[in-house]
Amino acid sequence: MDLSKLKKRPSYPFETIAVAVSFSSRCKFLLAEAKRICDACDSSLLLLHVGEKTSEKESNLDEMMDSVGINPKHCRIIWMEGEPVDTILRLCKLNIVDLLILGALEKENFLKFYIGSIARSISRKAKCSVLLLTSPNGVPQVFRKFVVNGVENPKTIHTINTSLYLAKKLRAKEIIIANELDLSGVAMTMADQSTAPESKEIIKGITEKSELNLQQVLEQCDTGNIKISDKILKGKQGYAISKYAKDKKVDLLIVNSPDTNLNLFDRIFAHDIEYVLADLPCNVLIVHSRV
Amino acid sequence: MIKLAHGELIVLLLSISAMLIISRIFAELGKKLKLPVVMGELIVGIILGPTIFGMIYPETFNYMFPRTGNVPIAMDGIFSLSVIMLLFVAGMEVQLSLVLKQGKVAVYTSLFSMVIPFFTGFAVAWFFPEIFSISDEHGPKLLFSLFFGTALSISALPVIARILMDMNIFKTNVGMVIIASAMFNDLIGWLIFSFILSLTNTSSHNDGFGLWYTIAYILGFGLFMLTIGKKIIDKTLPWMQTKLSWPGGVLSISLGICLLSAAFTESIHIHAILGAFIAGIAIGDSVHLREQAREIIHQFVTNFFAPLFFVSIGLKVNFIENFDPMIVAIVLVLAFVGKVLGAFIGARIGGMNKNQALAVGFGMNARGAMEIILGTLALNAGLISKPIFVALVIMALVTSITSGPLIKRFLDRNMESK
Repeated sequence: MDLSKLKKRPSYPFETIAVAVSFSSRCKFLLAEAKRICDACDSSLLLLHVGEKTSEKESNLDEMMDSVGINPKHCRIIWMEGEPVDTILRLCKLNIVDLLILGALEKENFLKFYIGSIARSISRKAKCSVLLLTSPNGVPQVFRKFVVNGVENPKTIHTINTSLYLAKKLRAKEIIIANELDLSGVAMTMADQSTAPESKEIIKGITEKSELNLQQVLEQCDTGNIKISDKILKGKQGYAISKYAKDKKVDLLIVNSPDTNLNLFDRIFAHDIEYVLADLPCNVLIVHSRV
Repeated sequence: MIKLAHGELIVLLLSISAMLIISRIFAELGKKLKLPVVMGELIVGIILGPTIFGMIYPETFNYMFPRTGNVPIAMDGIFSLSVIMLLFVAGMEVQLSLVLKQGKVAVYTSLFSMVIPFFTGFAVAWFFPEIFSISDEHGPKLLFSLFFGTALSISALPVIARILMDMNIFKTNVGMVIIASAMFNDLIGWLIFSFILSLTNTSSHNDGFGLWYTIAYILGFGLFMLTIGKKIIDKTLPWMQTKLSWPGGVLSISLGICLLSAAFTESIHIHAILGAFIAGIAIGDSVHLREQAREIIHQFVTNFFAPLFFVSIGLKVNFIENFDPMIVAIVLVLAFVGKVLGAFIGARIGGMNKNQALAVGFGMNARGAMEIILGTLALNAGLISKPIFVALVIMALVTSITSGPLIKRFLDRNMESK
């Protein structure tokens, strides 16, 4: 597999968008959303199905494509048998997919989450950006308000720029860049010999430093006409932003792709993206910046 | 039922208040000189104890801190509770997710910074037991060697965190690697130490299954609490925080879980500290535990139980009589070489440059209060002699005081080389 084209490939524009077709009850709605995003981003569409190619499935897919207005001449369909997660990941690499769209339940049952459902397993391992749509239901999704992670990480600038690109294409109105500050260690260090003003001063210092870093990142971005605001969230990374997105009822939560290969231990001792995947607060875009 | 007599109650209350007030004064003085609080508390113990006060005013000393009657029993109960609470808050700061998040550099650093000092300490104690006056005839050489290795391999998370916070590098890459590695060290160190302590309890190894029974129980309990127990706590905390009185409800239940867990481990012949420590991890790692509750628990334990515990050390041990310069020197050299070298190698394998790795090494070297707690428990269990205990206390203080300046030195060098 020649991966040279993938190396250092920017996370946007989305030249190729792929959709994993599963023939579930929500599949038609997922295709409709994918078509809308493809049209907005002027991308080529690729439909992937892992499983046996049968005439029944073919006619079913034709029917769904027809009903949502996908022209078979303007998209490619790949059928392949094999283990779903690895096959989809391989196909995405081979076809230089920039964005993979998947349908996902907001919450998996206990056992399935720990074993790893297909959508979540792909999200952890994908070498391209992944959009998890939680409730495709026939009514076109509104993408007006985004929350984007602003954590101190080399990937963050790419994630914010990708968010701005998508916001412009989908005509979003508002982006909130949220940086999470985990202050759990502060209690331990302040307990024995800090006065109340000293403790406040230290927390204020950490918060101001974080705000300054976020401002510096935002200065490097082309925000256009989109309203951008920043927010400091106190709490564990991943959990705080997920809760905030849920509370504020945002349309899309955008986060960095994981820094390490995630496994079962990362689900048991959850951190970062695992908090998001445990209970999807809304539609989620995981930006893989390939840096 | 045995009750404290009127006079005994007065003595108990007087001694506790003296320990709390004087240690606070020394802690505040120490703060001006940038010394760790634990140092002030130990000095108060030395002043109030047999080393100074007991020597000058033996009658008043015996009145304030009697060695017979019901007061020492009551004090012993308070000190046992103190060490359980100290281990509980130590556990609350261990976030295993942080180790996973920091990836291979944290894993290598924590592994090497444990393995190298452990084997260095073990080998020296095993091959040269005469240095420490240990022999199979007079004491269990294997247990002492295991303990000595463990004592050299643990770190003190609160001291390290404080140093990093003061230097404003807590949230940097180097800072997070040190913190994550120290957390992992703490977990493994206390598991091993609990195992050693349980071996000293003869009732647990009277039969042939003693050793395997202990290992199985420690691992089983740890695994249960860190997976299913943690999940249950995580699910019930939001309910507790909204339905019960705030913050009283969460505090009562959290401390109750800690004591329950400590009672369970004690009942299966593993020391109570392990139960408290693991309960601390399970509760402290929950995303639902509000910062206010965490702060209150920390404040309560650090400012009430910690001074009582650390002052009591000076009351029990004469630091001048038991000061052996040779043992102190050996312990210091082994502690510095093993820990700094181990963490340095781990950080280098993990991908850090030379100066960063040395900064990590000296950061991990701070032993602080954890070493002193470990030493006290070992002394109480008869694992070590008083001169070795004194050497461990001095090592804990020296490593804690030198850690900050040495981290700074190598981080400055790192900046200059860029």
